[in-house]
Amino acid sequence: MSAVLPSSKLSPQRPRCLRRLIHACVAPSVFDFWAQRLDRTWTWDRPLARIVERRPESRDAVTLVLRPNRHWRGYSAGQHLNVSAEIDGASVTRSYSLSAAPRADGLLAITVKRVDGGKLSTYLHDSACVGDVLHIGQSFGEMTWPKHHDAGWLLLAAGSGITPLMALVREHASRGMPAPLTLLYWARTRDELCFADELLALADAHPDFAVHCLLTRETDIAPAGRLDATQLAQLVPDAAQRRVYACGPSGFVDTARELLRSNARSFHAEAFTPPARSFEDSGEAVVTLQRSGRTLTVPRGQSLLKALEAQGLKPASGCRMGICNTCACGKSAGATRDLTNGEVRTEPSSALRLCISAAVGDIELDL
Amino acid sequence: MTFRNRALSPAELDRFGEELDALRKRTVATLGQRDADYIRSIVAWVRWTEVAGRGLLYLGAFSALFAPVLLWPACVLGAVVLGLSKILENMELGHNVIHGQYDWMRDPHLDGKTYEWDIVGTAENWRHTHNFRHHTYTNVRGLDDDIGYGLLRIFPEQRWRAYYLMQPLIAVVFALLFEWGVAIQNLKLGRWVAGKVSNRQMWRMFKPVGRKMARQIVKDYIVFPALAGPFFLPVLLGNVVANIIRNLWTYTIIFCGHFTADAETFPKECVRNESRGHWYLRQLRGSSNISGGWLIDVLSGNLSHQVEHHFYPDVPANRYAAMAVEVREICKRYGQHYNTGSLPRQFGQVVWRIVRHAFPSRPRRVAPLVAASEAA
Repeated sequence: MSAVLPSSKLSPQRPRCLRRLIHACVAPSVFDFWAQRLDRTWTWDRPLARIVERRPESRDAVTLVLRPNRHWRGYSAGQHLNVSAEIDGASVTRSYSLSAAPRADGLLAITVKRVDGGKLSTYLHDSACVGDVLHIGQSFGEMTWPKHHDAGWLLLAAGSGITPLMALVREHASRGMPAPLTLLYWARTRDELCFADELLALADAHPDFAVHCLLTRETDIAPAGRLDATQLAQLVPDAAQRRVYACGPSGFVDTARELLRSNARSFHAEAFTPPARSFEDSGEAVVTLQRSGRTLTVPRGQSLLKALEAQGLKPASGCRMGICNTCACGKSAGATRDLTNGEVRTEPSSALRLCISAAVGDIELDL
Repeated sequence: MTFRNRALSPAELDRFGEELDALRKRTVATLGQRDADYIRSIVAWVRWTEVAGRGLLYLGAFSALFAPVLLWPACVLGAVVLGLSKILENMELGHNVIHGQYDWMRDPHLDGKTYEWDIVGTAENWRHTHNFRHHTYTNVRGLDDDIGYGLLRIFPEQRWRAYYLMQPLIAVVFALLFEWGVAIQNLKLGRWVAGKVSNRQMWRMFKPVGRKMARQIVKDYIVFPALAGPFFLPVLLGNVVANIIRNLWTYTIIFCGHFTADAETFPKECVRNESRGHWYLRQLRGSSNISGGWLIDVLSGNLSHQVEHHFYPDVPANRYAAMAVEVREICKRYGQHYNTGSLPRQFGQVVWRIVRHAFPSRPRRVAPLVAASEAA
């Protein structure tokens, strides 16, 4: 199956020549300024979305339903998107999974779990209101349903890892459960479980769908253990015949991969990494250069410009002291230290100045 | 002979640099919503004044149909407002955004690497000639092309040639066409004329510049006038005048930044193994401010705080006024002259330099930047 709605449905074709003519005289930023006087989600080419509904999903999670503008190109169940909001003047971006199957009306839903100290999750959970406009990126992720099912499925979710898998379950149910499906869902306590009622109702309605919620820190029942071989054999005896998707924190995904990579029909996982709490200035860091597809190892704590040059690269550079911005390039992930003031920056950036930044962990650059 | 500036010992120079670094750190730590609101309000001013200016030009043009008496007042006012809009866009918005001052907002429309401004010069060339060369090698002879723009003799250290006798006239033409001068600055046409750059290389460098020039011409001199149909002439002239107003103003402000009487130039050896403190000191000695308050600050893109801008080119310009108080105090404690004055005073000094150094002149003795060590 393909859940991606044909893009023409969402973004009706604008006459090309008219577009080109306008572009010749009006810069996108000027167009956006005036278009947004009329409607805050109208832009020249950037996807934006308006919050049209918010509903609590658990003690610390909220589902936001979004109406994207015409530049959003659709998605498949199981995919994610980047969401940005402006907090204290600066745009903060995080990835969220789309928790609903694609809908005919084009609305999107993300379920946001509040993370302690998490800038965007706290903002979306506590402050975002219906009517607010968020910046979004196009959908991404490979954890989607295939066109045809040749085996049963096993979905493993831990914590917020439930959101993309929930979209898969919903879509599977809307198609009448075309293949057997089992969902194992770990959470710490009962009130952290999301979608519990809906999942149980689906399990009652479809004999081919089984769901097991495993609570690791609930006090009034015997706590379920973390994922291991015995537990898995007990809950899903036919795991070897199934295809597996797993989603959760990287530690959880690593365990799942170890248990199931060779013991299941196929295994695919997507992990999210909790933000690192401490940063190392010694040792080495892996730098992934996305445009050239190279991966390098550089010393931590050293100016990235010098480190890259030492590896034979010649990134654009100028003053070498952080004033001219020539060496600024995008950083999509990872932590760097600003050598001029010692601060660590973990946010993705469109302009990381290589000459005055050092890696304090593995990073990804747009070079 | 006494100098206005005290020569600093290397240790003093380090402390001088540390204090200025600390000021920067304190300011950057408090960047937030109010800075974002400020630059967005400037964006709004640019957009609304552009519409107002162009609207007035059309009003004047079409007034022939209903009230011919409006032609001159509406067109003159329209050209002035459109000129102001361009000044605001080029200086407080474009120049500052292209420096990356607002990159921390992560707003793609205010991104220093991709912003393109409403002027014939490309932002790409500006990033090289201005952000890199001019700001790194400020007033260093042979490295900073902004010293006279290869056209004028502003400092006695530049070698005199008979051609410079014409420079008072050339300076006026250059001011009127300033945006075109900036547009071709990075092409270094002199090297092409001298045969050091092949035609093909020059064509490759010219292509993006030519594209931007064409875009500006099509926008200001073809499409917008054409929208007025048979009444295109007042609109066309209004656009020409607005661009000239902008050229004269930016020329005035930029020349006041580094070419006043007390501004110094430096030899190339100066930047070898340069310390942070030395770099700051060189920026201070090579730059001059314009006093005058809020209106001058906004209309000059805060280049009225040229000293602060050269110390902190990537700090949002709306902070310079507050930082200037501390910068001034630090300079005073280290016995350094803080070059500031009213616009007429500073520009008067610039004009005097242009006239004076059209004729042969010899360098004055200036205070060294660093005190000679005692052993020497």
